[in-house]
Amino acid sequence: MINENDPSTLTTSGRLLNYNEAIKSGLETGLKFTQLMDQLIKTTDPDELVSAATQLADFELDSDYVTFPHQYSNSDYYLLFMSRMLELHDQGKHVILQSRDHHEELTQQLTPLGDRGTFNFRIETSENGGVFYRERATGQSLFYLNLERKMFRFNSHALTQLFIIDLHDTVPAETVKASVQILFDFARYLKEDYGYSVDFNILDMANRQNYAVRSADLPAGVVDRLFVTAAQNDYMLTNGVNGNGAEIALDKNVVVDIFNNQLEGQPEWVITVHDDAQQVSWFDVLLQYPFMRDWYLENLNDLEIQSDPLIFG
Amino acid sequence: MENQEQQASAADVLTQAIANKLDYLSTLQAAVQHGDDRKVYELLDQARYYQEVKKTRPARSVNHLSELVDNIHPQVSHYLSDNLINYLGHIYPFFYYEEYTTGLFHIYFGNWWDRRLFGDLDVINVQFQFDQNEYQKLKDSFALESQNKRLNTAKIESVSAESEKLQSLVDAQATRDNQKAQLRDQLKENSQRSSLPWDSSKVKDERQGIIDQLTKLADEDEKALNAHKLIKENDDKILVLSKEDTILSYEKQSIRDAFDDFEHFEAHNASLYADYLNSLLGKSEGEVKADD
Repeated sequence: MINENDPSTLTTSGRLLNYNEAIKSGLETGLKFTQLMDQLIKTTDPDELVSAATQLADFELDSDYVTFPHQYSNSDYYLLFMSRMLELHDQGKHVILQSRDHHEELTQQLTPLGDRGTFNFRIETSENGGVFYRERATGQSLFYLNLERKMFRFNSHALTQLFIIDLHDTVPAETVKASVQILFDFARYLKEDYGYSVDFNILDMANRQNYAVRSADLPAGVVDRLFVTAAQNDYMLTNGVNGNGAEIALDKNVVVDIFNNQLEGQPEWVITVHDDAQQVSWFDVLLQYPFMRDWYLENLNDLEIQSDPLIFG
Repeated sequence: MENQEQQASAADVLTQAIANKLDYLSTLQAAVQHGDDRKVYELLDQARYYQEVKKTRPARSVNHLSELVDNIHPQVSHYLSDNLINYLGHIYPFFYYEEYTTGLFHIYFGNWWDRRLFGDLDVINVQFQFDQNEYQKLKDSFALESQNKRLNTAKIESVSAESEKLQSLVDAQATRDNQKAQLRDQLKENSQRSSLPWDSSKVKDERQGIIDQLTKLADEDEKALNAHKLIKENDDKILVLSKEDTILSYEKQSIRDAFDDFEHFEAHNASLYADYLNSLLGKSEGEVKADD
C-alpha cells in the first residue's frame, strides 16, 4: 500500500517526485513574492498597491524545502507601501526610505523632521494582527494600521508625548505640523480611496469631532484652572452655549468647548474645536497656544484624549 | 324713612367705592392691552410715580387701589419684565436674568465661567436687589485697586508662603538625615562614657539635649511627610482664590466699560426707576397726549 504522506512507503522515484514538487511549490512562492514586490514597488494603480501590500503583510516566503537567506521583514513592506501610497498622491518627497547597509531592514524619516525622528513599523503579535507605526528612539507608537481589517487608529498619547512634549523645545511648531500632516494625509487616502475606518483622534479637524477626555467625570478644578490661566492670557472662558460646560473663543473664530456630553446619567466630558473652515484640530490648538498646551499637559491625567481602547488600552 | 335714606346713601358710597375699584382695574387692563407699561407702573405706585417721575405730589390722595393686584404680582411682573429687561440690556450689558419662577428673576453677573449669582431683579419696583455678600466683595475689590491689590492678594500670598515653608522642609530632608546620624553617634558615645558619679549629671544633661534635638528633627520629618498633601490642598485653595479674583476683575472691567467707575454704577442703580419710566414717557408721548 503506497501512502503519499509516508515517505517510507514510497518508491525512490516517488520520493524524488515529491521532493521536486515541494521545491517547485517553494519556488512558485518565491516567484509570487517577486511579483508582489514588483507590484508594490512599481505599480501606479492604487488598488494594486493596496492589494500587494495586504498580501505581503503576512506573506510566508520560506517553505520547508526552499528558504531565502536574504529577506526583509514583513513590517518593511508597510514602509514601502506607505511611501508608494504617498508617491501616488504626489507626496513621495515627504518621506525618505533608508535601507541599512549590511542587512535587509528599512527605516523611514519624515522629510520636514529630518533626523529628529526615525520611524518603522512593528508587527503586532497578538491575534488582532496589524502593525504599529513607531518612532524608534522614543518607542512612541503614533498609529495602528490593519490592512486586512481596513483599520487605522491614531494614538493621542504618543502624538502628544512625541510632538507636543519631546520635540517641543527643539522643533518649530510649523515643522511639527508639516510632519504630522504627512501621517494625516496617509490616513486620509486610506479612508477616502479605500473606505478604511480611520480614527484621526486629536488630529481630526471636523467640528463635530468630540474628543473624549480621560476623566469622564472631569473635576471642576480642571476647568477652573483654564479659566484663571486664560484670563492671564487675555482670553475669556465663558459659559458654554448648552449650559453644561465652558467655552473659549481663540483667534480667527476658533472656538474650543469643554462640556459634559451627557445630559443625564453617567457624565462624559469632551472637548470640541470649532472653526469656520474645519481646518483646526485639538492638536493644532496645542501647537499654537502655549497656555492651552500648558493647561493640557499640567492636567494630562484628567484631560488626555482617549484613543481606541481596544488597540491602545 | 330715615333708615331707608341712610341705607340708600350707604349703598351709594359702596357703589362709588366699587366703581373706583372697577375703574382702577379697567384702566390697568386698558394699559396692559395697549402695552402702555408706563401707565401700568403709574397705577402700581402712584405716590412714587408722582414723586420720582413727575416730581410733584399726586393730585389725589393715595388710594391704595394698587393693593387690588397684590396677589397677581407674579403675572404683572412677568408681563412687565419683557420691556424692562430689554431696557436694562442696553444699560447693564453684563447682567443676565433667569426667570426661576413666574415673575421672579435671578441676576447673573457676566457670561464667564462660573459667573456669580448676583441677586434678584424686582421688576415691580424697577430695582436690583443685590446679594449683599457678593456686592460687598465687588465694592471692596474696587476699593483695593488704589493699592494695586486684588481682593485675595493677601490671602494668596499667605497660603503661598505656607507652601514654600513646607517645600523647604521637604528639601531639607537630606540635611536632617545627616544631622540625625550625627546625633545618634553622639548618643552612642554618650552612653558608653564611664558614669563616674561626679560626671553623671553632666552626661545625663548632654544625653537629654541630644534626645531633644532628635525629637525635634523627627517632628520635622513627619511634617515633611505630610507636606505634599498640604501643598496640594494649598494649591486648591489658591485656585479658588485666584478664580474669585479673576471673576471680580471681569466684573470690574464690565462696570468700567459701561459706567467708567463704581460710583456712577451706584448712581445709575439709585435712579433706575425714574430713568426707566422717563424713557417710557419719551416713547409713549403720543399716547399720553391722547389720554389727556
